[in-house]
Amino acid sequence: MSAPAAAPQRAGAPVGSRSPHPPGPDRVTQGGRGRRRRARAGRGALGAVAVAVALLWVFPIYWMISSAFLPTNRLRTPEPTFIPLDGTLANFRRVLGDPTFFSSFRVSLAVTGLTLVAAILFAFLAALALSRFRFRGRRSFVVAVLVVQMIPAEALFISQYQMLDTWQLVNSVLGLTIVYVAAILPFTIWMLRGFVAGVPIELEEAAMVDGLSRTGAFFRITFPLLAPGLVASGVYGFLQAWNEYTLALVVMTDPARRTLPLWLQGLVEANRATDWGVVMAGATLIAVPVIVFFLVVQHRMTAGLVAGAVKG
Amino acid sequence: MPAARSTPVPALPAPPAPVAPAPGVAPGGRRRRRRPANLGVYLLLVPAAIPVLVGLGYPLARQFVISFQEYGLAQQFGRPAEWVGLDNYVTLLTDPYVWGVIARSVAFCLVNAALTMTLGMALAVLMRSVGRAARLTLQVGMLLAWGTPVLATTTVWQWLFDSQYGVINWLLAEPLGVTGMRYHSWLIEPASFYLVATVIVVWMSVPFVVFTVYAGLLQVPGETMEAAQLDGASGRQRFWLITIPMIKPVLFVVALLQVIWDLRVFTQIHVLQRAGAPTRETHLLGTYIYSLAKEFSMAGAMATIMLVLTLALTWFYIRRMLREEEM
Amino acid sequence: MSIVRSSRIALPLVAVLALTACAGDAETTPEGPDDTASTPEAAEIRLWLNGTDTPQELRDYLTETFAAENPGSTLVIEEQDWNGLVPRLQTALASEQQSPDVVEIGNTQAPTFAYAGAFADLTDLYEEVGGEDLLQGFVEAGSVDGAVYALPYYSGARAVFYRADLFEAAGVAEPTTLAEFTDAAIALQEANPEGTANFSGFWFPGQDWYNGTAWVYTHGGDLAVQEGDQWVGALSSPESQEGLAEVQRLFTEATNAPRDADSNEPWVPFNNGEAGMFSAPTWARWSIDLPECNEGVDPEDTSPEAEEARAAQAACNDEHTGVFALPGLTEGEAATVFAGGSNIAIPTNSQHPELARSLLEIMFAEEYQTMLAENGLIPANSQYADALGDDEYATAALDAALGAKLTPAAESWADVEGARLLEDFFQQVANGADPAEAAAETDRLIADTLN
Repeated sequence: MSAPAAAPQRAGAPVGSRSPHPPGPDRVTQGGRGRRRRARAGRGALGAVAVAVALLWVFPIYWMISSAFLPTNRLRTPEPTFIPLDGTLANFRRVLGDPTFFSSFRVSLAVTGLTLVAAILFAFLAALALSRFRFRGRRSFVVAVLVVQMIPAEALFISQYQMLDTWQLVNSVLGLTIVYVAAILPFTIWMLRGFVAGVPIELEEAAMVDGLSRTGAFFRITFPLLAPGLVASGVYGFLQAWNEYTLALVVMTDPARRTLPLWLQGLVEANRATDWGVVMAGATLIAVPVIVFFLVVQHRMTAGLVAGAVKG
Repeated sequence: MPAARSTPVPALPAPPAPVAPAPGVAPGGRRRRRRPANLGVYLLLVPAAIPVLVGLGYPLARQFVISFQEYGLAQQFGRPAEWVGLDNYVTLLTDPYVWGVIARSVAFCLVNAALTMTLGMALAVLMRSVGRAARLTLQVGMLLAWGTPVLATTTVWQWLFDSQYGVINWLLAEPLGVTGMRYHSWLIEPASFYLVATVIVVWMSVPFVVFTVYAGLLQVPGETMEAAQLDGASGRQRFWLITIPMIKPVLFVVALLQVIWDLRVFTQIHVLQRAGAPTRETHLLGTYIYSLAKEFSMAGAMATIMLVLTLALTWFYIRRMLREEEM
Repeated sequence: MSIVRSSRIALPLVAVLALTACAGDAETTPEGPDDTASTPEAAEIRLWLNGTDTPQELRDYLTETFAAENPGSTLVIEEQDWNGLVPRLQTALASEQQSPDVVEIGNTQAPTFAYAGAFADLTDLYEEVGGEDLLQGFVEAGSVDGAVYALPYYSGARAVFYRADLFEAAGVAEPTTLAEFTDAAIALQEANPEGTANFSGFWFPGQDWYNGTAWVYTHGGDLAVQEGDQWVGALSSPESQEGLAEVQRLFTEATNAPRDADSNEPWVPFNNGEAGMFSAPTWARWSIDLPECNEGVDPEDTSPEAEEARAAQAACNDEHTGVFALPGLTEGEAATVFAGGSNIAIPTNSQHPELARSLLEIMFAEEYQTMLAENGLIPANSQYADALGDDEYATAALDAALGAKLTPAAESWADVEGARLLEDFFQQVANGADPAEAAAETDRLIADTLN
């Protein structure tokens, strides 16, 4: 949590004297020892604030997880249970003993994976075209992508269903993926477009001066700088696809093709009186892959290094 | 080049690597920089355009068309749809109740979008300024709020604000001694209902803003900052004059999305209504459309009205963006 | 094929239009020209059942019996969730390829789909599967202009659960009339024998229109009535107002339940000792779990000791808990409570209507109806309701069910529920609004929605 912890992240990248690195806006890189110490203390304090905010934010999630360890008849009582000291693992065992959890898990994983790959790739190409080239219809395309996001989609599922039905894509991973990709693309294009635009084209040109081809310059210089944007869009796309309910509801009617949010809703109705402890355990387990996904990609979400990128 | 070009970035980071002029390439680079499109560029757009056109464009067009028809469940089963012209729009727009809903939604949307953006940006900056451990803690916390199934989080929020068993009432009454709050009904008064709804909506939307803006901040090259610092710019100046303009494209789209999403907010309001709030007094556009959902044509008309509303709310922004776009 | 066709001709205009609209696909249907015999071609048919009300044992029975009676054909049961059922029906029923062959549908949703032309006409089957013996409220919910499109499946009724020990301590007896019920609830709350904080004589949250409606119905009132071809809200009628006055008294004097809560999970305060009575569907008995009885058995433990502890726990809960059907205006009769349940129908787009009918015949035969009753559901055919048993729960359920009444069978009733007009209305009554004023406003909204 102390200041220097950030440094190793950036190791390897900096070139020569530019290395002592950068700076959030308030960071002090110059000055006497006293200033540096004050700065470090300041960062420690900021770190404490960050952790406090995180704890505050996570409280409802903590409550969910804590509930997952309690039998349902102890969830809503006059005296709340803050720490499930005498908790039980029975709820988790019930979820893990349910074969439909794993089949839904596989369906969700397939849909989310396909959606993510397709959406990020397509959006990336489109963003490239929109911010690196000028062509007829460019502005219209940008406006269309913008407006499409503004129209509420309340009555949309009817038409989307009919379309998939015509193509025999109801109850299929591919069908659901198509509507998800369509839903996620507009935002992803916008987001990545901003990121590509944010990388000065001069950087590429400089590298080309160094002898790289246009494509080479793009992938060596610009692409690494887009990593944070790609990660942010990826997290967005992953969460949208992973947690979507309404479209999955109408497209995946076959119980064997349920995605996890549908499975969770099924769990609510698995008994006539909902066993909330089990539902909370199920929700907790559904959230685990989200965190895993993030931890896998998060190291890409650190300061992009212009200097380092150019070195190659 | 688009937007970023026009911003008052003091000096573009000079190409940091030693620039050895390679004969023959430099002039070409210059020229190609404004490369007008050859047809190949359209190939880059096709993969994105097709799913959007098919998966969204067509259904949206159809939604627009049926907003001029009488189209409900019976039409799904083959009864011919009658054209009714602007009837659906007239029905909605002459109902004073609908105008009440619109006014409430706009107010709710602006308050929530502003709160979300402010908090989100502040936390993104905070994330940029702390060490790795604190940053990861904050990131994971945010991600949990964003990524946990909504069914579970809304249920938990409902429990937290429950009149009889809510932890919030308990905390207020037991440790804090406000005994009058022990069985307080949070949802029965519209004002306090919207307060609770705002807490939940902001809680759920801030993480998206934090992640996106944080990603944008990471793109601000350190060299620019250092250069500015050497020129004597204060931290505050650097933030407002360099950082903000550089991440403007990202801020723009995030703010726009917040307005769009908060205007049509549905799940949180719906869940709170079901938990026991007076429905008619607390409807916002999202839940109101839902209550019309069996009349698809009505919902379609309402969707068009919301599009106009969104455009009106964001017009200033969009025009500015498009102007910069031209440069 | 001829049979298929003739049954289709009997459909009303709406459905015929639906078929012509999809005529382009006709050649893909598996009906060959030589298929003129009366036995339908063997196929797999799909039945949609919702939630877990139909136990596994009954599902197995259906698949086995269906396969035995229709050699070569199979029945696949796909479980759907109540929450989200409507969007699924809105989409899947309109698709020739995806439509299930038989669907269960909530009785308040049935009119909407029946009017829309989503279901095949079953009028000719009506007499055969029970006729007048079928639960008539549900038949009405599934009928349009005298033709039956959705048959009853089962009904569940509400009964009142009470803490016997608290009754005794407060000197309150099981009430025998509706007026006595109110008195008992008030007396119980006043006595509050265990001195519990925020104690309710009767758990009656502000939005609980399922229970509030019982007072309206029992006093002879209604939610909405049909006058000519118009629906009018009926909460302002003198009968309804009589009931509502009593409802308001209960809200004020007999309950401390939050005004911003609905009828969900009323056993929670009961189990916490915070309510002396609650009213719920009879299956709520399985959710009663009083702390003084709880043996803390691990639900996965199947050892003999655990089974024994569980049995002791159930016996203890039963001993502390009593149940009765909400009494009517005069002694000896039951109140007219709100009934909920399901209808069952064959979608117009079913590709195997003959097989679907064969399945319905199995479901309405004595054996299956008896099985429904044995599992605590009021079967569609009231002749077989005796199989519910004769313990106090079954008696209360049956008493309540016999007099129970559904929501108005209006085409758009589901929209009234979607707009939550009644939740809002009862909440206003709970909040101290003048019942006449609140009723006038709600009647207007109901009429706007239904017409």
